[in-house]
Amino acid sequence: MAQQIMIDPVTRIEGHAKITLYLDDSGSVENAEFHVTQVRGFEKFVEGRPFHEMPSLMARICGICPVSHLMASAKACDELLAVSIPPTAKSLRRIMNMAQIVQSHALSFFYLSAPDLLLGMDSDPAVRNIFGVAQSHPLLAKDGVRMRQIGQQIIEILGGKRIHPGWVVAGGVSERLTAEKQDRIAALLPDGQAIAQRTLEWYKGALENYKEEIATFANFPTLFMSLVTPDNKLEFYDGILRIVDSKGKILSDCDQPDHHLDNIGEAVEPFSYLKSPYYMPLGYPDGIYRVGPLARLNIVEQCGTPLADAELTQFRNVDRQSSFHYHYARLIEILYCMEQIGQLLEEPDILSDRVRAYAAPNQSEGIGTSEAPRGTLMHHYQIDRNGLITHANLIIATGHNNLAMNRGILQVAKHFVKGNDLSEGMLNRVEAVIRTYDPCLSCSTHAIGKMALQIQLVEPDGTVVNELRR
Amino acid sequence: MILIIGYGNTLRGDDGVGCHIADCLSESLTNPDVEILSRHQLTPEMVEPISRADLVIFVDADSEGMPGEYKSYRIVPAGDMSSFTHQTNPASLLAASKELYGTYPDAMMFSVVGNCFDYGEVLSTAVANAVPQVIRKIERLVEAEMTSHA
Repeated sequence: MAQQIMIDPVTRIEGHAKITLYLDDSGSVENAEFHVTQVRGFEKFVEGRPFHEMPSLMARICGICPVSHLMASAKACDELLAVSIPPTAKSLRRIMNMAQIVQSHALSFFYLSAPDLLLGMDSDPAVRNIFGVAQSHPLLAKDGVRMRQIGQQIIEILGGKRIHPGWVVAGGVSERLTAEKQDRIAALLPDGQAIAQRTLEWYKGALENYKEEIATFANFPTLFMSLVTPDNKLEFYDGILRIVDSKGKILSDCDQPDHHLDNIGEAVEPFSYLKSPYYMPLGYPDGIYRVGPLARLNIVEQCGTPLADAELTQFRNVDRQSSFHYHYARLIEILYCMEQIGQLLEEPDILSDRVRAYAAPNQSEGIGTSEAPRGTLMHHYQIDRNGLITHANLIIATGHNNLAMNRGILQVAKHFVKGNDLSEGMLNRVEAVIRTYDPCLSCSTHAIGKMALQIQLVEPDGTVVNELRR
Repeated sequence: MILIIGYGNTLRGDDGVGCHIADCLSESLTNPDVEILSRHQLTPEMVEPISRADLVIFVDADSEGMPGEYKSYRIVPAGDMSSFTHQTNPASLLAASKELYGTYPDAMMFSVVGNCFDYGEVLSTAVANAVPQVIRKIERLVEAEMTSHA
């Protein structure tokens, strides 16, 4: 008799979700659905607000990546003003965006995924958490706390506060960098770099332990999308929006923000509030693509800093179709950010007081695209003649990955879950494949974040015969 | 070192009372051995400064009781990892300090019962009236602690 397994709620992710696994008569997994069950509707309630409020309003979508939304929103507002912001402002925004990536990657790797990686997918769920990591690997746990602290402190030094800083504004930033702040940020970098390096060394040595997961955690060909510099280096803030196929062939290069959305369609599935973007020339769902750390490192030729480039060379030896390697890519990006922030702080004009361009709205439409920790983030606004928002659409990194997450869950479930022999470790792997993407469901559905997971086993007639809740 | 952490959402009326009190204390407590944080929410990386403190004072809003009522009580480490991600609670932070750094400080919570948690940046009258009293209590506690360590 065919059955259904539901994981509800999914744990150690940002947001609330559940998973349903449909079994066939033999107890094998036939289909999987990733349900994002929350909605908050930011796009709707900002209608009628003055456009200059958008950066601070949009930052409220999420307590994890407010800075990412600040960036994309401010860039969309720059477009409405039709200004080119001062170069120093651009560099300062870059620093803050990278600090955001550092703190978010640290949260994902050390807090949310390290318990699986260090203690094992089949370990006791009662200790499979950051406390368990603290007991078994105290140095790594402390490194996780410190790494996130470094990212948060840089954001606070620049923006005045760690969460929801209001320093990034339409036209640039509201305040210049002082020499004292420059020194305080620079002083944090050696520690962060050392943590990134020793974590990478440990992680590379541990990869042998995850062969089965690497082979089955969303390991399939898809397209990849990210921003990239004109000379094919890692880029989080600006540049060309590139889409490549699974072999790295460039399908689309777009350097005009107002064309960034041209190739992307948004499908809606009845089982989730999370939209399913796809690459339109290939149609739905064949236009499946991935964004985020794995996509970025699969697209670039170089990172652009010495230590990260050396790591990228080694990274190229792993099976880069596997979403398991999001973890690896995340660590390399942390290292890159530490190096790159140091380089930006040494720019000759970094202390310049020309950090903001002023203008009234000159265009009725603006699109801001940047790289958030989880991938490409797009804010699209339209305003009326009074500068009031008439339309807002956000395409969030987690949304871009929705099709790949669904397919990844199915792959993992087919490999690990057998309906007649359910184990917690099997179900944990189903969750763990989602964690590789580090989804932020608060952002993607613009909903209040609660972490949770539910798996449900249901017969063809809809009867729930088994359920796991955490 | 005494660490004071006021936290809450300053856009949701009385929920921001912890931040408001922390901001006021930043003006009155200028001793370098007192570190004051005003935060939207508790986050895991706070465990590092907590581990260095002799006393941590948390200040938060409460939803149970008469509006404006305030109370103080001791916090002890208690692990609840389900909430230890991007936001956490005082007891979990103390437990994390114990696990990671082998030590944890004495900790007190000062809470004020809110009246209105709707959108807005203004405290309700009941809560605003309680704020000076809570500030005086925390100042006296800090003074006593500093004296005992002098």
